[in-house]
Amino acid sequence: MWLRGWIMLSVLTSIALIVLFVGFLTHASLPFFSKYGVSPIIGQEWYPYENLYGFLPALVGSAWAIAIALIIALPCGLAAAIVSVEILPLRYQSTVNLGIDILAGIPSVVYGLLGIALLLPWLENNLDLLTGHSLLAAGLLLSVMILPTITRLSQDAFRDIDNNYREAANNLGLNWSQQLVAVLLPQAWPSIRSASLLATGRGLGETIAVMLVVGSIDRIPDPWYNLLTPAQTITSRIGREMGEASVGSDQWSALMACGLVLTLCVAVLSIIAQTPHKRAAHD
Amino acid sequence: MINRASKFALCLLALPALVVPILCLAYLLMRGLPGLDSSFFGLSTLGQSRDTTSLSNQHGIFPQIMGSVLLSALACSIAMPLALGLSLHNQLYAGRRSQSLMVHVLTTFQSIPPLVYGLCGLVVFVHLLQWGISLAAGAIVLAMIVLPVLTLNTIHALERIPTALTDSARSLGMSAGQIIWHVWRPKAWRSLLTGLFLAIARTLSETAPILFTATVFSGVIWPDSLLSPVTSLQTHIFYLAQEAVDERILAHAWSSALILVTLVVMFSVIAHFLNRHSSDNE
Amino acid sequence: MNKPYTNMQLATAHVTDKTTDQPKLKTYDKARVEVNNLNLKRGGRLILNKLNLTLADNGITSIIGPSGAGKSSLLRCINGLDKDWKGEISVDGIASKHWPKGADALRQHIGLIGQKPTVFPCSITDNVVFGLRGKQRKQASSGLIEYCLKQAALWDEVCDRLDHNAQTLSLGQQQRLCIARALAVKPAVLLLDEPTASLDPRSKNKIEASLHGLGENMPVVVVTHDLEQVRRLGGNALFMCDGMLIEQAESTTLLDTPQRLETREFFQWSTCDCPPEDE
Repeated sequence: MWLRGWIMLSVLTSIALIVLFVGFLTHASLPFFSKYGVSPIIGQEWYPYENLYGFLPALVGSAWAIAIALIIALPCGLAAAIVSVEILPLRYQSTVNLGIDILAGIPSVVYGLLGIALLLPWLENNLDLLTGHSLLAAGLLLSVMILPTITRLSQDAFRDIDNNYREAANNLGLNWSQQLVAVLLPQAWPSIRSASLLATGRGLGETIAVMLVVGSIDRIPDPWYNLLTPAQTITSRIGREMGEASVGSDQWSALMACGLVLTLCVAVLSIIAQTPHKRAAHD
Repeated sequence: MINRASKFALCLLALPALVVPILCLAYLLMRGLPGLDSSFFGLSTLGQSRDTTSLSNQHGIFPQIMGSVLLSALACSIAMPLALGLSLHNQLYAGRRSQSLMVHVLTTFQSIPPLVYGLCGLVVFVHLLQWGISLAAGAIVLAMIVLPVLTLNTIHALERIPTALTDSARSLGMSAGQIIWHVWRPKAWRSLLTGLFLAIARTLSETAPILFTATVFSGVIWPDSLLSPVTSLQTHIFYLAQEAVDERILAHAWSSALILVTLVVMFSVIAHFLNRHSSDNE
Repeated sequence: MNKPYTNMQLATAHVTDKTTDQPKLKTYDKARVEVNNLNLKRGGRLILNKLNLTLADNGITSIIGPSGAGKSSLLRCINGLDKDWKGEISVDGIASKHWPKGADALRQHIGLIGQKPTVFPCSITDNVVFGLRGKQRKQASSGLIEYCLKQAALWDEVCDRLDHNAQTLSLGQQQRLCIARALAVKPAVLLLDEPTASLDPRSKNKIEASLHGLGENMPVVVVTHDLEQVRRLGGNALFMCDGMLIEQAESTTLLDTPQRLETREFFQWSTCDCPPEDE
């Protein structure tokens, strides 16, 4: 009887938490959308003192940061997964996994510290910049942070491949690289795809480390490919201004609206990542 | 030949993933170790430590460590029973449809950025419920963050138990409670513990969500009640990192970071080895 | 188009119930398990279709039929492992859906032994008393353990190593341990789902011997694919196909002179072409 009660209680609590979360998101950002409409999402200016709330600079910043991170982390993580599963002997695998687990466990604030103390001075010296605070720094830092996610999930993808496929490919006389390209990668691809989507979501939501190195200036890079100027991401904006905004003000609900946009982006990514698994389960 | 070349290229590409953690940890040790002196821990006499730096008081770093541990322990003790209850519901009472719906909802909530949970906590607990910046608000926000992870982990652990085993226990007329205790518990406790340790590591390292909901920079040594603010290691490092121009402050930040990483890595390494043993047993 | 055929089958099922049409069927004074109009649907498919069955106070009943005929499902429904069936199952005259102390107590009353031997990762003794909990378990004597293991024809092989891990036993021994384990909770009925599939002949013989002994005191139902085993077990035999009870008779009679076309077809070709039911 107590078991039933406990289970019911936890289910109800969780449902209450979900309702509370969704309710808060809509309720807190509703005032903003009802006052300004949805046009600020593509607005280019963000000056809370003049009631200008354009989301575009932060959106562009987030997109750039995650793009840089993916360009670096995806090949590296994938290669690390292939090396650790397909090349390394079995007994070293657990050591590699331990390293990846540790890397995944390092708190983001420590990455932020590493970024401030190592990355920013390095960028300033090598690229001759006034300040190292830039989208590039944020992207580089993010790439290290999402690397373990990508590696871990791709490793699982390669481990899950039925050994019969490898044997069959061997019997056909394919050499190692041909096997990789023709057999292993296609088999692992759905999982790799969802791994990178998940990593994208995680990178988009990363706050502290990005906030410390991105510079937090609301500007769209000019020209658009100029990654060496300080910029802003959605998360860094929320993190910077949440402490200053007074409760219930326009700025407050604008930041909540930023949170809503971020949540929607990430939730959509996560839902896309989940769909192929479902299909594979039906086959 | 082609094999050699492609393997070599792959190894080269993979190198950062394997070397970066070692470099990070080495640098952290190099910068953090020198700062771990008696004044950092507040062990020197009262007068001296007041003189040397305004950052350290007679308690050193201990209030921050205690705050982090307290937040993490509270969050996990809220989330773990809920996660167990949810996954037992999933295994015992839910139909196939609601089982998969539950997993999808949990996976989606797992991917929502911690920062947004922090905003939720700020609006609901700090302002709506008038708790103020408090230990309770931070703990509940952290619990919300780890709840999906913990639940999914528990569901997977229970799913790995062979149905034949459960069925034969049921056909002996054992009740749900007896099956949970005598059949599932011995099979799953390792995976459950792994999940719990990972959750502890996670709650120790989350910074953004507790920044507005639970912590203040200084002035707190031990929270008087659930509704009073705390200090924590992770936010302490954040505040210090923002003042990164001052070399002395930076040194203090590195030492704090070393303590934090030691705590977090300790839990994730325990989880790693527990997990390895549990997969050996399968 | 299929209607007349269906009706005929229904008619046979009812007639077998009354045991008027089949003089050679053994009759007993008291019914232990009665199944009336049992239906089970899974994913839009009828697994069990208006099934009627009576198990008497003791004796062995073998169930044969092609794979997917619903034999295992029938056992799971009677035992209460599956709950989403419609119809009536009564045990000792009490409807099983309203069993006095709940479904768990019902499952204790009706032992079910699965196809694959599943032992728990603990000692042989602990496995035998696994279903006993609390007070019962403390009271479980070594006599009970010995009795159960002897009934399952396993005692001679394991009496000197009762504290060994049960997973070290051979598959055949594990299956007999499962029987002993089911006996320890003192069931009134014993259901076995292909207990000897994938076992060596020696274990098969031992299990059959044990079933003969058990059948003297309680109804024992054995689902099997092995027609020779049906002959060896004796008692009654049922032929099931597509969730319906096609024919029921004393086992030698059923094997030697099957009355129904489907049964004969099955004996000859190992398949049966029951027309799909239009629902």
